[in-house]
This record gives sequence, C-alpha cells and structure tokens, in this order.
Amino acid sequence: MKHRNAALAPVLQQRTDIWAANDLPDAAQPGIPSGHPALDAELPGGGWPVGEMTEVLSDCQGHGEMSLLLPWMATASRREGWLVWVAPPARPHLPALAAAGLYTPRLLVIDADRPAERVWALRQTLESGACSGLAGWLHKADTAMLRRLQLAARATTLPLLLFRPVDDRHLPSPAGLRLQLSPGPEHSLRVDILKRRGRPASQPLYLRTRPFGAPTTPLPPAAARSIRRPALTLIA
Amino acid sequence: MLWLALVFPEWPLQARFRTRDSTQALAVSQGQRVIALDAHALAQGVRVGQRLADALALAPDLIIRSRAPAAETAALKDAAGCALHFTPRVSLDDDALLLELSGSLKLFGGLDRLLRTLQRTLAAAGFESISACAPTPRAARWLALGKPGQRVRYLAGLPGALAALPLEVTGAEERVLLALRDAGLRTLGELTVLPRSALALRDAGPLLTLIDQALGHRPDLRVDYLAPPRLDSRIELPVPRQDVDVLLFTASRLFNAACTQLAAAQSGIGACTLELEHERQPATVLTLRTGQPTRDPRVLAGLTREHLARIALPAPVAALRLRATDWLLMPGRSRDLFGAQAPSTSETRAAAALLVERLRARLGHDAVHALSGSADPRPEHAQKPVEPGTARPGQARPRRPLWLLAEPEALAERDGQPWRHGPLRCLEDSERIEAGWWDGPDAPGSADEALRDYRIAIGPRQEVLWIYRDHRPPHRWYLHGVFG
Repeated sequence: MKHRNAALAPVLQQRTDIWAANDLPDAAQPGIPSGHPALDAELPGGGWPVGEMTEVLSDCQGHGEMSLLLPWMATASRREGWLVWVAPPARPHLPALAAAGLYTPRLLVIDADRPAERVWALRQTLESGACSGLAGWLHKADTAMLRRLQLAARATTLPLLLFRPVDDRHLPSPAGLRLQLSPGPEHSLRVDILKRRGRPASQPLYLRTRPFGAPTTPLPPAAARSIRRPALTLIA
Repeated sequence: MLWLALVFPEWPLQARFRTRDSTQALAVSQGQRVIALDAHALAQGVRVGQRLADALALAPDLIIRSRAPAAETAALKDAAGCALHFTPRVSLDDDALLLELSGSLKLFGGLDRLLRTLQRTLAAAGFESISACAPTPRAARWLALGKPGQRVRYLAGLPGALAALPLEVTGAEERVLLALRDAGLRTLGELTVLPRSALALRDAGPLLTLIDQALGHRPDLRVDYLAPPRLDSRIELPVPRQDVDVLLFTASRLFNAACTQLAAAQSGIGACTLELEHERQPATVLTLRTGQPTRDPRVLAGLTREHLARIALPAPVAALRLRATDWLLMPGRSRDLFGAQAPSTSETRAAAALLVERLRARLGHDAVHALSGSADPRPEHAQKPVEPGTARPGQARPRRPLWLLAEPEALAERDGQPWRHGPLRCLEDSERIEAGWWDGPDAPGSADEALRDYRIAIGPRQEVLWIYRDHRPPHRWYLHGVFG
C-alpha cells in the first residue's frame, strides 16, 4: 500500500480490514518504466504492462504521442533484438530518434497496408522472440483481431503498444490499458486513462514529452494531485 | 552385433506417395499385374498378383500407377538418411533397411526407446515400417517379414526363432520354393534338419548358403550407406490437389525427412526450393530462405504456409519436390551444468534473421527494412532504407521532428504567415540548412539543393510542425515534418 499522507499511512498499514480505494492492485506484474514518473505512478505495475496489449488512442499527429514511448524504446534498443514499428504513419527521422537515445540500427520498419496484414506482422513479431520493443499503428481492426493480438502478447514478456484512432474508443477492446491522448496547454500532452486494471483513473495527466519549448507557465497543478482522493467508484 | 531390419510393406506404393491411406483405392502395377495396393483396394477385393483387368473389374475407380524403380531407390535413400540419425551403420536391402544398433543402445536409452523414436521419426517422414532384431542381418530381415516385432539378442536363440518361419521369407527363386513345397517342406526348421547333400540335389544349394548366413555360420558382409550432402526428395499425390492443407501436410513429410537427415549430418540449410509440380504446366517453384542455417521442420513449414497464402496456384499439384544443395555445418551447443539451455545471443540473432525472412515471405521484400543514418545535412537524406542488420547509427540532432513527410507539402500563405487549416504560429529560433549543392547535374541551383530556413510551428489544433521557407523565389512555405 502506498500512501502520500504520512500521518495516516502507519495506521492504515496496521489495519488489514481497510481497503483503500486508491490502491492499485499489487498483484500486477511489474511493468516496464515508461520514463515518465507521473505516468508510471498511475499505471498498475508502475509502467507499461508486460505481456499485455496497451492501446493508445490519438487522432492527430504532432502532439507528442510517439515521444511518449521514446524513453522506453530507447532503453529497449540497448538490448539484442529488433525494435519493431509496424506501419508507422510517416517516415521516421533518424536524427530525432538518435537524439532521444535510440540505438537506431536495431529499428525495423514494416510497411503493411491492410489491417489483417498489420495484425499478422505484429503477431509474428511477438512470437518470434527476436524483438525487444514493439509498436504498431492499427485502424479498422475488429475485435477478433485484437483478441488474437492480446493472446499473442500474453505469451511474451513484452509490452505491446498499439496506436489507434480516437474514433475507436467506443468499440470494445480486450486491451488491459487504454490511453487517450490529446493536446494539453503549452505543448504538453494530455493523457486520459480510459481503462486500466484496478481502480479507474479520475484525472487526466499532463506530460511534457518533447524536449523543446521551455515551459513559460507551469502545467496544471501537480501539487493539488499529491494527495490522492479515493475515486468515486462503486464496486458491486 | 544387433541388427534391426526395417521392412516397408507395399514399398512400391509407399515410396511414391508416402502414404498408405489415401482417400481413394490405389495400386501400383508392373507388367499388367498389381504388385502393391492400399487398404481401400484390398477391401474391394484387389490382391497382389492380380491382372489389371481383373482389378479394375473389382474396383472400377482404382487409381493405377506403373512402378517407378528410380523413385523407390530415391525414397529408400531418404529413409536411410533418416535412419543415419540413429546409427552410422545403415545398409540398403531391396525394400528394406538394415541397421546395426549395438553401438547406439545406450545413447538412446535402450532398445525399446530407440525403436519407438525411430518408428516415430520415420512415420513423421511418411514411412511405415515393420521391424525385427537379430544378431545377423539376414535373420533380422527374415524375422521382420515372417514374425514382425520379434527380437532375438543372441546367436544361440536364432535356430529356434527361425525354425517356424515359412520358406517364402528367404526370397529364394520361385522354382526352388516350388520344388521344396512339392517335397512337403514348408518351414525353415523342416529344411535345416534334412541332410545337406539331399537338399543340394534339389537345387537348394544357394538357399543353404543364405541359411548359413542367417545363422551366423558364414560371413554376411554389408556395405554401409553414405549419405551425400544434398537433398532431393519427391512425393507424388495420388490425385492432384490444390488445397493448402493437403500440400502443407505432404510438404511437412518432406521437411521432416530432410531435417532428420540434416540432424544426422550435424548440418543445416539456409535455403531450399520446394517445387510444386503440375500435370501439364511448368512447376511452381517456392524458394524458402531461412536467413540462418536451420534444421527445424516447423520453420520450413511456416515459410511454406506464408508463400502458399501469397501465391495463386495455376493448377492442381501432382507432386512435391524438395531440393537443398548447400548444407552448412551447424555445430551443437553445450548445455550448462544444470542441463539448461538459455537462449544465447546467437540464438536471438538467429530468431531476428528468421523474423525478417518470415515477414518478407508474406509482405514482400521491400516492406521490411531498417534505416541507416548518414551525415548528409539535408533532412530527407539523413536516413535511407537498407537491408536489416546493415544499418549504421544516425547522427543525433536536437529539435528535429520524429516524423518526416515523404514529400514536403507546400503551404498556403496569408498575410505573410504560413497557413494550414488555420494560421501557424512559429517559435522564435530557426535552423538554416544550405546543403546539397554538390548533387544534381547542373549544381548549384538544382532541385536537390536545399536552401531552407526551418522553423518549429504550432498549428491550430496545437500540433507541432516542422516547416521551412525556401530561399529561392517564390519563397514558399513547406511542411516537412511532424513532432510526433
């Protein structure tokens, strides 16, 4: 149990009959740190979930959505194996990736048009055991495809990051974690956690994912969020 | 010495089709007579030795193929190659294989286990066999024919075991057998108790030599089979088929046979060709590349599945042929103290190369690539697609966009400001790139030369873009990248 309130913490730790609603399940397999401490704190397992599909819903390029993954990708690229991007929306620009710390010779770009081919490529990559990081861009994927991907991801020790359009947020998805990205103030990135294991998230996060544009005004108050209130959730 | 005889029943049929249970009655003929048949034909009353006309009268839809001795030899060598995995001493014997096993018993955990593994390996390659063990090769063969499954470990037990076998197992001339049958002799036991001089009078002299060899009284030398380091095996389909599952199943028998032979030679293959032969058209040739030397049949089957999913067969397939000429040595890897084999760096590399080949088999060669960096200051030349594994690291540059457009997009201009679905607000600093004058036919001033002032701009939807203004008239604005 983690508690920010220093006075309450020892009391709560002694009482085994109190369940704090803002606790994320401890049983979650430790995730892989995303490189954004504020985000890690909100993710069960403290990072990108391992052996799980994570959906990132975003509509528009240019809000820093891919930069969200770069710290993890940079770490992953230090290990043996491919860093696979399936059907990225444009051509990656190497100087920017290198500046983010990626070891770019391990990057493998796969072009595929049809959703079925993209899903197939993702599954092959997951099953190959030759990949240290994986991100895919999917649109018009049906639930059966996603479920197959989720099953393939479960057999691995990798996070599977999928970019999907925001329009798909109302479609059911087997993903364990769903994030919606939108632009925040001052070139920041607003992250809404639509779905995660355990307690639903109540507040959006604002992350600064890109290295430029020194902040002229502070981001929406981080201090106000330091004492986390239990979310208004009824668990039947 | 412990000899194992593997006899393949209905060999002329097995050798060609590697199956004895097709969906239709099937027979192989030689000189207007049936010499081998499958269970369907047997059920319809067809027998070995029947005339073809009689057989067709009994089973009108019987598929008859004439005997192909070359195919039988090739298939027997295939089976022998598989058997080499279990012992280096394998010899060919008409439609049977003889294996000397005494040196391999310990390695494979005893005779029972060895026989089970051997049977399973051969079955995976499409061969069905009956077997028997004996201290001499000839006795082993006779026992396999007369009493399948019999195991005689010592010479002393041989006369008793052979006594009950019918004379037909010896494979002696029909004329000699007929003479002996007329004399009331039916089994080997009845023959051996008679005086030798009396038998010699009945033309049974050569038969006595064979019996002496079987009992170990005379030497019986066998030539060990040496497998050439190449593969060329072929399986026919009784009825030409087009469905992928049938083709994959048949191909998997070829792959299993091939990979067992490779394992016996401590080798692997990096590429092989699978030819799908059609009846009246040139064969469809699939080239399977594995990237790394392999002898895993699942890898080859997986690649075949991808190829078959991608191509359209012009006609039903009548036969499959697997060829691999370049064998590469694949030394084994030691286990650690506790017998575990953690994936090594080289194994991850092998898997990495295989992944690339697998993806390319379905998506096409150009769909899978790596990006190699270069020192060219022009953003569009800073990376180029290259063969995976040969890429060089890129040069890090700050304040560069993650995504680059394939072609710069010309932007509209309003009141002197760039416009894209709304006004673009530029950040303060800019980056000037003047490069590429060394390229192009009539440099400077060619289209490849870059004379640009790059700015970071914020669009109406808060998207961060990388735009530039061309120095050359008409000084237009272009969108070149996106800070993803």
